[in-house]
Amino acid sequence: MCNNPVVIDFENVVKRYKLYKNDKKRFMAIFSKKVSYKNKLAVNNVSFQIKKGESVAIFGKNGAGKSTILKMITGVTYPTSGSIDVKGRVSALLELTSGFDPELTGRENIYLKGQLCGLTNSEISKLEDIIVDFAEVDEYIDQPVRSYSSGMKARLGFAVSVNIKPEILIVDEALSVGDKAFREKCLKKVKEIIENDGVTLLFVTHSTGTAKKFCDRGIVMKSGKMTFDGDIAEAIEIYEGKK
Amino acid sequence: MNTFKHILKEHSEWRSQILLLAKADIIKTYSGAALGWAWALIKPVMTITVFWFAFTYGIRQGDSVNGYGFALWMIPGFMAWFYMSDMLQQGANAVRKYKYLVTKMKFPVSTIPTFTALAKLTIHICLMLIVCVIFVATGHMPDLYWIQTFFYMLMMLIFWTSWGLFASMLGAMSKDFINLVKSLGTPIFWLSGIMWDVNRIDIVWLQKLLYFNPVTYLATGYRNCFIYKVWFWEEPLQLVIFLGMMIIMIVLAMWSYNKLIKEIPDVL
Repeated sequence: MCNNPVVIDFENVVKRYKLYKNDKKRFMAIFSKKVSYKNKLAVNNVSFQIKKGESVAIFGKNGAGKSTILKMITGVTYPTSGSIDVKGRVSALLELTSGFDPELTGRENIYLKGQLCGLTNSEISKLEDIIVDFAEVDEYIDQPVRSYSSGMKARLGFAVSVNIKPEILIVDEALSVGDKAFREKCLKKVKEIIENDGVTLLFVTHSTGTAKKFCDRGIVMKSGKMTFDGDIAEAIEIYEGKK
Repeated sequence: MNTFKHILKEHSEWRSQILLLAKADIIKTYSGAALGWAWALIKPVMTITVFWFAFTYGIRQGDSVNGYGFALWMIPGFMAWFYMSDMLQQGANAVRKYKYLVTKMKFPVSTIPTFTALAKLTIHICLMLIVCVIFVATGHMPDLYWIQTFFYMLMMLIFWTSWGLFASMLGAMSKDFINLVKSLGTPIFWLSGIMWDVNRIDIVWLQKLLYFNPVTYLATGYRNCFIYKVWFWEEPLQLVIFLGMMIIMIVLAMWSYNKLIKEIPDVL
């Protein structure tokens, strides 16, 4: 694994959110530099490299900057300074709905998402049944996604994300929904694609047990700073405050 | 200039997805409603009927122009306005509406107004086909001038796509801006000569001032094709001023894109 190419490269990444008193102030700030705001440092000078095929867990309390890091890897948000280099197709499950159009049906969303990820129609129709089957949404698949329960949305989101042949899979606490049987099915599937397809996994969770099953590397975040990067067992100890 | 190149590049790389999302946008608007596609027709037909009635019988201003009855005179400009009013408001709302493309996956935000504009254009073309049928049915046969509609359509598409980019970035930042745009709809409609003939204004400077109104230019352009029978190069001053306004709009779009693209995912 040491010789595998680096697929994610973070170099001195800083992310600063500008907090304005209200939306009006934020709007005025577009036209004037004088509007005052507070700085919130979400990610403070973080550097790391992840190689192809690695599975890395990111631990940290709420607000430690985990989700911001995942969003920056996915490419939906930009760093304030520093550089990020990501190679490969990223499939991200950011929060539960993972980018479904609520007005379209589940099936239409599968196609839309697949095509936005660069798959062709024939590739998607091959995956369609697998996804529908995996998501266990049955006849709801032809109903608009807005009518789904949160569990259904999460299941469909997960089914799409793992089945569209990602090269980098990002899972942001999405596994904490769904019943036990579904959760185990997901874990099995993730394990399978890591082992068979050499997928790189980034996993944010509070459940250290699950992380241990999958990941051999752990990163611990504390108020925007990376406090540990290394062996998973050690990372868990640090995160749980034993060390 | 770099921003412009960057946006064009994004458009060419994602062209098939842009078309796909335009299609999805149309399906979304009309599916799920019991009358479905009929709604695309009902609204314009109803509005035009009401205005025709009000002007012909109520205000009694509905004289015929150039041998065309008032209703016929009104229709081409009104159709252009339907597209423009849709773009005015929904263009400003585009990024907000497609939030999930911004915050949940990697997607070129600059193309969101483009596919919105293309979706509306498809509906607009369907409506224009019906307009053609109406003209033929009332005994006005197609001529070469009708082809010119495509020129004005293209101008309209470029102008309003740029507006969409400019406004949707600001609209994503602030709801106030969206409300402002919404409240502008009616004033623009009445000030732009959709309902009255711009050529009838006898105050010269006021007529000249309207050259600077892109809405007037485009609505009059549609009438040039169907009513006045004028080629676009026969009014060079108006054309040059319109192109100038279009360039200003594009520059504004680039400014707003450049300024806000990195902030928008954090705000939405």
